[in-house]
Amino acid sequence: MPVIDLPGGAPAIAGAPPRSPSRRERRSRHRSPLAPYAFLAPGFLLFLALIIYPTVRAFQMSLYDWKIVANASSRFLGLDNYVRAFHDPHFWTSLSNSGVYMLFTVPPQIVLGLVVASLLNAKAPARPLFRVLFYLPVVTSWVVVSLLFTYLFSDDGLVNYALSDVLHLTGHVSWLSDRWTAMVAICALGVWKGIGWSMMIFLAALQGVPKDLVEAATADGAGRWGRFRAVTLPAIWPAALVVTVMLVIGGFNVFTSVLLMTDGGPGGQTDVLLTYMYRLAFSNLDFGYGSAIAVLLTAGVFVLSVVQLRVFREPGGALTK
Amino acid sequence: MRFTRSRTGLALAAGLIMLASACSSAGSTDSNSSANGQSSPSATGGAGASGTGAPGSGTSDSGAGPSLGSPTPVTLTFWGTYGNGGNTAQTDVLNKQLIPAFEKSHPGITVKYVDIPYDDMSQKLTTGAAGGELPDVIRSDIGWVAKFAQLGVFAQLDGALPDWDTLSKAVYPGTLAADEWNGHYYGLPLDTNTRVLITSQKALDKAGMNAPPKTFDDLKAMAGKLKGSGTALFADSGLQGWNILPWIWSGGGDITNADHTKASGILDSDTNVATIQMLVDWYSQGLIPNLITGNSGATSTSDGMPGGKYATIFDGPWMRDIWSAQYPDFTPIYAPIPAGPGGSISVVGGESIVMTSATQHKDAAMQFISWTQSEQFQLAMAKVGQMTVVQALGDKEVAEDSFYQTFADQLKTAKARLSIPQSSQVDTILSDELTPAFKGDKSVKDALAAAAAKIDPLLTDGT
Repeated sequence: MPVIDLPGGAPAIAGAPPRSPSRRERRSRHRSPLAPYAFLAPGFLLFLALIIYPTVRAFQMSLYDWKIVANASSRFLGLDNYVRAFHDPHFWTSLSNSGVYMLFTVPPQIVLGLVVASLLNAKAPARPLFRVLFYLPVVTSWVVVSLLFTYLFSDDGLVNYALSDVLHLTGHVSWLSDRWTAMVAICALGVWKGIGWSMMIFLAALQGVPKDLVEAATADGAGRWGRFRAVTLPAIWPAALVVTVMLVIGGFNVFTSVLLMTDGGPGGQTDVLLTYMYRLAFSNLDFGYGSAIAVLLTAGVFVLSVVQLRVFREPGGALTK
Repeated sequence: MRFTRSRTGLALAAGLIMLASACSSAGSTDSNSSANGQSSPSATGGAGASGTGAPGSGTSDSGAGPSLGSPTPVTLTFWGTYGNGGNTAQTDVLNKQLIPAFEKSHPGITVKYVDIPYDDMSQKLTTGAAGGELPDVIRSDIGWVAKFAQLGVFAQLDGALPDWDTLSKAVYPGTLAADEWNGHYYGLPLDTNTRVLITSQKALDKAGMNAPPKTFDDLKAMAGKLKGSGTALFADSGLQGWNILPWIWSGGGDITNADHTKASGILDSDTNVATIQMLVDWYSQGLIPNLITGNSGATSTSDGMPGGKYATIFDGPWMRDIWSAQYPDFTPIYAPIPAGPGGSISVVGGESIVMTSATQHKDAAMQFISWTQSEQFQLAMAKVGQMTVVQALGDKEVAEDSFYQTFADQLKTAKARLSIPQSSQVDTILSDELTPAFKGDKSVKDALAAAAAKIDPLLTDGT
C-alpha cells in the first residue's frame, strides 16, 4: 500500500503559509532585538502568573498540612500527603471513576464526532442548521444540561419511560442509585455534550483533505473505506491527535456533571478525582491533601498526553505502515 | 527606527501593566493579611477594655456605643445568608427595620449587611480567610463554627462578650453546644430550627392510624400496614448526621462519648446496631426508598410527601412555605420525632452569629452581637421564619404563630451535631459507611464499627 505523504497536515491546525519578511521588517528586527521579547512578555507574564505560579504553589501546599488562613503557619509534611493518597481507597475509587469516564467518553466522542462531521461535510440541505444543532450542547451550560440529565435519568424520568414502558427492554432502573448505572448516565451526558466539539474540529480538518488525492484514489479503484483509510485519515490525523489529547485531558477533568448529578453518591461511589479534591479542600479544608491529589492528577494527565503525542506522532501512524 | 522604538516601548508598557494587574490581588492580600495578623492576638484583650458596658443586660439598650468610648463612627460589615433562594422577606426586615433600629440605639455604629447565597458562604469564608478579607460579623451555619474557630478565623466570645454569661444561659442548650470548640465558645446562637416528624391524614388513614406515630413501636406497626401498599413508611435524603442522629439519639445511643474523644464502642454499640437495623430492615422491605442511600433521581421528600408516596419524613419549619407555594391543597401534620428507648430527640440546625478575629471594631461588633439576642431582633426574625434561640421568647413566638409549637417543644430536648472542626468528614464517613449497610453489602455492626474506627482519629485531631 502506498504511503501518501501529505504536506503541512490539516489547514485547520497548520499556521499561515510562511511569508518572506520585507526589507524594512528585517532591518527593524535587526536593530531592536528586544521587540520580540517585549511582545512575548505580556502573554508570558500572564502564563507565569496564572498557570505556573498556581501550579508551583499547589505543589508547595501539597507538602504541608496547609492552613488556609493568611499568615498562619503550616506544618511541613514532606511527601506524606502523597503516601496518604496511595493508601486512600477513596482516592483509587475516584481515580478509577475518572479513568472509566475517560475511557467511555473519549472514543465515542471521536468516532461519533467524525461520523457526524463526515455526514455534515457532504453537500446536503439544511447543513448549517444541523451543524448548529450538533454544536448547541457544547455551548450550553454544564449546570443546565447536568440538571436536565438528572431529570432524564431519574426514577420517573424519560429514559426509564422509554426503555421500560415503551420498548420493554428493562424494568425501572434507579440509574443514579448505583455506581455503574450512575456512571452510565454521567458518561452519556459527557458524550452528548462533547460530540459537537470534536465534530467541529473534524469538519475543519475534512475541508482540508486534498480533493485531487481523493479523485486519484477513486480513479485507482479505491472504495469509500479505502479512500477514507488512505486519504482522509492521514489528512485529518493531526486534528485527530489534538482531539484525542484534549478529550483525554477533559475526561480526567470531569467535575460539574458529577457534582450536580450524584454529588459523588451513593456513598462516594461516583466521586471522580476533582469532586473528591474539591470536597477535601473546600469542605474539609484539607488543602494540603487536596493539592497533592491535584498534583498527582496534573502529573498523570501530563504523562498521558506525552505518551499520546509520541504514539500518534507520525501521520497515519500504524494504520499506513 | 522611531516606529520600532515606540512599538517596543508600547509592548513593554503593556507587559508591565498586565504584570501589575496580575500581581495586584496577591499584593493586597499580603498587606491585608499582615494587618490581620497584628489585630488578632486574642479576643479577650478587647473584652477587658469593653467590659465596662452594662453587665447582665442583653437588650438593645445595653452598652450603647458612646459609653464604650468609640468616638469615631464605625461601619460594621455583616455577612449573612438571609436572602437565600431569593427570599426578600428576611432581608427586608433586617435592612429596613432591624439594622436602622440598632443604628438608632447605637449612635456612631453603621451596619452594612452583605447577603451571600447559602451555597457560596462556606467557600467565601474559606477564600476570605485565605485572602485576609473578612467582614466584622458573620451569620454562620452552626456546622461551620468549630472548623473556623480552629483556624483562628472566628473569635472566642466567652470571656470577651461583656454579657456572655446572661446571653449564653438564655438560649436553648442544644443551640449553644454547636458553638463550642475545645472548651470555649466561638459564636452565639442566632436563629434555630430542628427536624420533627411530618405526615399527612391520607398516610395515616392508609396505615389505619388515628394519630401520628409517637414511638418506634408505633412506626413498626405502621410499617406492617404499609408493606406492599406503594407508600413508603419513611423517606429521607441522606445518611449524614442531620439525617441519622435523630434516630440514633432517640434510640438511646450516641456517636461519641460525652467529651467527644472516642467513637469506637459508642457508635457501634448494640443500641445503635438495633436502631440502624430497624431502618435497614425497612429499607430492604421497600419501606424506605433509596433516596436515603443517595439516589439523586428518586422523588424528593418535599414532592413525595404531598404526592402520597411517603407516609412520614423528618423535616424543618421551612417546609411550610415550600408546600404552601407548590402544594397549596396539602395539609401536613407536624408531630414530635417518634420516641425510642432514648426519648424523642431531634437534631438542632440554624445559624450562629460570630465575630471574626480580624475585625478592627471588636467593641461595636460585640454590641451588635449582643443586640441580636434582644426580643426585638429575635421576634422580628421569628415572624419571617427564623425561630428564636432564646428559650424565654419561645412562648411569645408560639403565641404569635402556633405553627412553631411542635418545633419549640422539640427544641427543648434537641441536640447539636458533633461540634468539632472535622464535622463534615464525620458526615461523609457516616454516609459512606452506612450506605453499603443499607444496600445489604455489609452488616450494620461492621458498618458502624468501620465508621467509628474512622471517626476516632478525627476526634483526637480536633482538639
